[in-house]
Amino acid sequence: MRLSHITKSFGANKAVDDVTLDFKPGEIVGLVGENGAGKTTLMSIAAGELTPDEGTIEDRESIGIVHQHFLLVNEFTIAENLALSMWGRDPAEVIRDSGIDLRGFHRRVADLSVGEKSKLELIKAIAGRPRFLILDEPTSVLAPAEARELFGVMRRLAADGVTVVFISHKIPEVLEVATRIVVMRRGRIIVDGGAMSAEQLAEAMVEKRTREERSRRAGGDKAGEPPALRIPPLEVHPGEIVSIIGVAGNGQSELAANLRDTLRGHVAHIPEDRARDGLIAEMTIAENIALAEPRWNPRSAARRAAELIERFDIRAQSPLQRAGSLSGGNQQKVILARELERQPEIIVAAEPTRGLDIEATRFIHDELRAAAARGAAILLITSDLDEAFTLGDAIYVIYRGVLSARLTPGDAAKRAPVLMAGIGA
Amino acid sequence: MTTQLLAAIPLAIVASTPLLLAVLGELVVERAGMINLGIEGMMLTAAMTAVITAQLTHSVMLGFLGGIAGAAIVGALFGLFALRFAADQIVTGTAIVLLAQGLTGFVYNGLQQNDIFNQPIPRLGIDVIVPLAWIIIPIALAFLLWRTQFGLRLRACGELPAAVTANGSSVAQHRWIALAIESVLAGLAGAYLALALSSGFAENMVAGRGFIALSIVIFGRWKFKGALLGTAVFGIAAAAQYALQASGRGVPFHLLLAVPYVVTLLILCGIAGRVRAPESLGKT
Amino acid sequence: MNVRRIAVAVLAAAVAIALLAMSGIAFGHSPRELLSILISGSVGSNFALQGTLLKSIPLLLTGLSVAIAFRAGVWNIGGEGQFLAGALGAFLAARYGMIAAIAASLLAGAIWASIASAMRLWRNAPEVLTTILLNFIAIHLLGYAVNGPLQETSGKYPQSDAVPIAAMLPTLGASELHSGIILAIVAAIAAWFLLYRTAEGLRLRASGFNRNAAKWAGINVDAQLVRAMAISGAMAGLAGGIELLGVTHRLFERFAAGYGYAGIAVALLAQLHPLGTIASAFFFGALTTGAGELQRTAGISSTVATFGQAIVILVMIVFTRSVRSAGVSPAGVAASRRHGRAEER
Repeated sequence: MRLSHITKSFGANKAVDDVTLDFKPGEIVGLVGENGAGKTTLMSIAAGELTPDEGTIEDRESIGIVHQHFLLVNEFTIAENLALSMWGRDPAEVIRDSGIDLRGFHRRVADLSVGEKSKLELIKAIAGRPRFLILDEPTSVLAPAEARELFGVMRRLAADGVTVVFISHKIPEVLEVATRIVVMRRGRIIVDGGAMSAEQLAEAMVEKRTREERSRRAGGDKAGEPPALRIPPLEVHPGEIVSIIGVAGNGQSELAANLRDTLRGHVAHIPEDRARDGLIAEMTIAENIALAEPRWNPRSAARRAAELIERFDIRAQSPLQRAGSLSGGNQQKVILARELERQPEIIVAAEPTRGLDIEATRFIHDELRAAAARGAAILLITSDLDEAFTLGDAIYVIYRGVLSARLTPGDAAKRAPVLMAGIGA
Repeated sequence: MTTQLLAAIPLAIVASTPLLLAVLGELVVERAGMINLGIEGMMLTAAMTAVITAQLTHSVMLGFLGGIAGAAIVGALFGLFALRFAADQIVTGTAIVLLAQGLTGFVYNGLQQNDIFNQPIPRLGIDVIVPLAWIIIPIALAFLLWRTQFGLRLRACGELPAAVTANGSSVAQHRWIALAIESVLAGLAGAYLALALSSGFAENMVAGRGFIALSIVIFGRWKFKGALLGTAVFGIAAAAQYALQASGRGVPFHLLLAVPYVVTLLILCGIAGRVRAPESLGKT
Repeated sequence: MNVRRIAVAVLAAAVAIALLAMSGIAFGHSPRELLSILISGSVGSNFALQGTLLKSIPLLLTGLSVAIAFRAGVWNIGGEGQFLAGALGAFLAARYGMIAAIAASLLAGAIWASIASAMRLWRNAPEVLTTILLNFIAIHLLGYAVNGPLQETSGKYPQSDAVPIAAMLPTLGASELHSGIILAIVAAIAAWFLLYRTAEGLRLRASGFNRNAAKWAGINVDAQLVRAMAISGAMAGLAGGIELLGVTHRLFERFAAGYGYAGIAVALLAQLHPLGTIASAFFFGALTTGAGELQRTAGISSTVATFGQAIVILVMIVFTRSVRSAGVSPAGVAASRRHGRAEER
């Protein structure tokens, strides 16, 4: 199969930039890059789930894809989930055929570990005997032993002539199993080749400048004052920004919701899902901003909103514009404006710049730094490592709902990949 | 009073048969992901069409079929709005109930002016409905939902419709079939109520059984065993009404009439958040 | 109010009337004939107009009750029961005068509704079902009352004695129209003010649009639920109280006569806007009165009015897909995206 000059943009964001790739049967391709590099988008296009803005796919093959987010019915058993796509086939046989070890197919999916769910998705994808298999971050939720098992399956399939594409940001694993490595950064192919050392790979994945910056940051020492937020081992002192990093799905959402429900006092929350939880789409900008205010007067609210629109440089026609009609970046600015206006003591920001362009991102970062300078204690939950290191005075890594010890940025730069994969604490 | 209560049990079982049929029907529909408040209206319409058909044809069996037809029309209307127009299911259901009430009152009243409809109504001979409702239908439906591919897909419609469409099936189709099943059952319920338990049609004769049915579905955790148990519990508790009356303890009649609804409230309060509804219930 | 919204409402009303007029064909009446009876029977004479206005008053209040609840994202289908609770409350307090009776009706309605919100908060019982069940319970409570402890002293009919004259609502001028109409309109304005000019109203509407986002913005959505239900119940209770003190002067079985459920139609036709419910209530008041005339002259059961309410609801929800978004359909959101402006209220 061949992907030819594929380009795909989402709004102002060019996710895939003129990518050409030739795939051969029997190879295991490690598609590597940091968050936002364009890997998932490219493979969604290959699988036919997204249409590219430009470019073609030649010699299409039967494709199996295992997504990062499972399409499993939680209340059904393993057998029932299999039966949903292949009624009549004996589940024991299907599982045996796949070569993947998954026992107890009368168990409900809701009771399975994340690793087992991942295996089930894999079995479903393989059962159709595809010639091209895409695995999107399959090991992010697997224990090392399970990951090894997965590699065995991948090798077996490749030996059968299947092309396996394995999307990952974890260098050690890619090096272990891939026969060919393709590195993407900001939508482009940087490297496409065979053997490579870990250092070469890391260098290719992340720009040199960024890496140097990350290890240079020693972290501010604001630990003099008592922490404004303290849930052991988590500590956030007034005036500092603490980043929590981790692969998505390891408890970040639960942590944010927990904090929302339990923290008292002047706390501002910036929710992860901006569209669903951040703003009331049907209400105006002015109304959204006024939500936490004790008094409501349409005229003064509109005036305040106009001021904030000016100050935060929000691209809106008027304060009376429906919040749902704003672009993502501007919506986020509205949320930020609303939350920061209250002069909060603590700010919990989850994925605040997800999907935003460079300009909006920089703006948000500046505002957060300014809030910290004013004395707020800021907790930043993000899957964007760049952001985490740029802003964070200290770093925690979250894995399966558990936080690591507090790390300095320099420390974290070295240990993050390992910690995010859950190896050693 | 205990003897009176015990004696009331078989009566309670028979009397709650229409309710059970409604519970079974609603259960299938909710498993497919829809909430149909309109079942109250379906039963009411079925009661009327059953009586009219029976009077016209002098046949009880045809009367039952007429009841099913009446319920089906109302069910189709609900499906039209909830599925085709993707309208809010709760408001649609409420409107359907009002529609049925208005329509049946108006039609029945008008028909009374014609002499054909003032005849006696044929009565049910051997009561096959009770064993049908309490034994055969639950077993058949449970088999359908848990042992067939169709049933699996239908339940998936209520949990994760995306999983159904990913396999190339139509969620709407499954839901329409669920509504059809509910129509048959609601039709039987309304017909049985009018032809067997009462002597004809009367305004508001369904008296909230549809809403009670929805409550029992929740109480039974959307399972057939739960539905049977819940209805039985409800029926017996409601039978306390008759027992109290017969015992001559002087409990005012009207307060006794409120007993079934109070019991249902208690049933609803007994679930306390431990209950897990089908994931996609009520979402358009 | 923008043109599209008014157009949809007018369309719904027209469809309902048309269907009603055509319904008589089955029984040998021409649509034009029925239409003229409907119109003359509702607004064709001073007497008819009076009757229409009298019916519009409770409809306005139950409509407000539903509008407030739905705006707050609460499924209060219990207007019928809250109406009865209000009437009962007013009756019991009537001996202390009119003001006391009215206050009691507000309180009673609020309490009856709060039973449902309490069950929702503590036991997760869905209020859509509990409010309906409470309707039935209220009806039977009323039946008990008028057949028992509250039955008239002569003991002849299942109805109560008349309320003391001091508690009755005074009439306006020489007509039978009682001053409850003033209360009702004041209530509508107060409801509008609450929803659109107070912070509480802003929060209520926010919770109704998007409960999760409201939570994230720091709103206590549970407290909002309780308050919304209480206010909603109070409105319906007031409707019952006014109906008792101004029109019937005594309690009897079948007192509620569907006003609670009709409130849903009133609210939806007005697209949950408090000031719009004034016009909407008038429409349904006319419909009910006209249907009564239909029964008298053409022998068509007056339950067609209920049928009409249902038609209006069904038409409205097709065009305004999401009731909780208060009339904002997906089409509406797309349209407003094009225009980029929200309406001023």
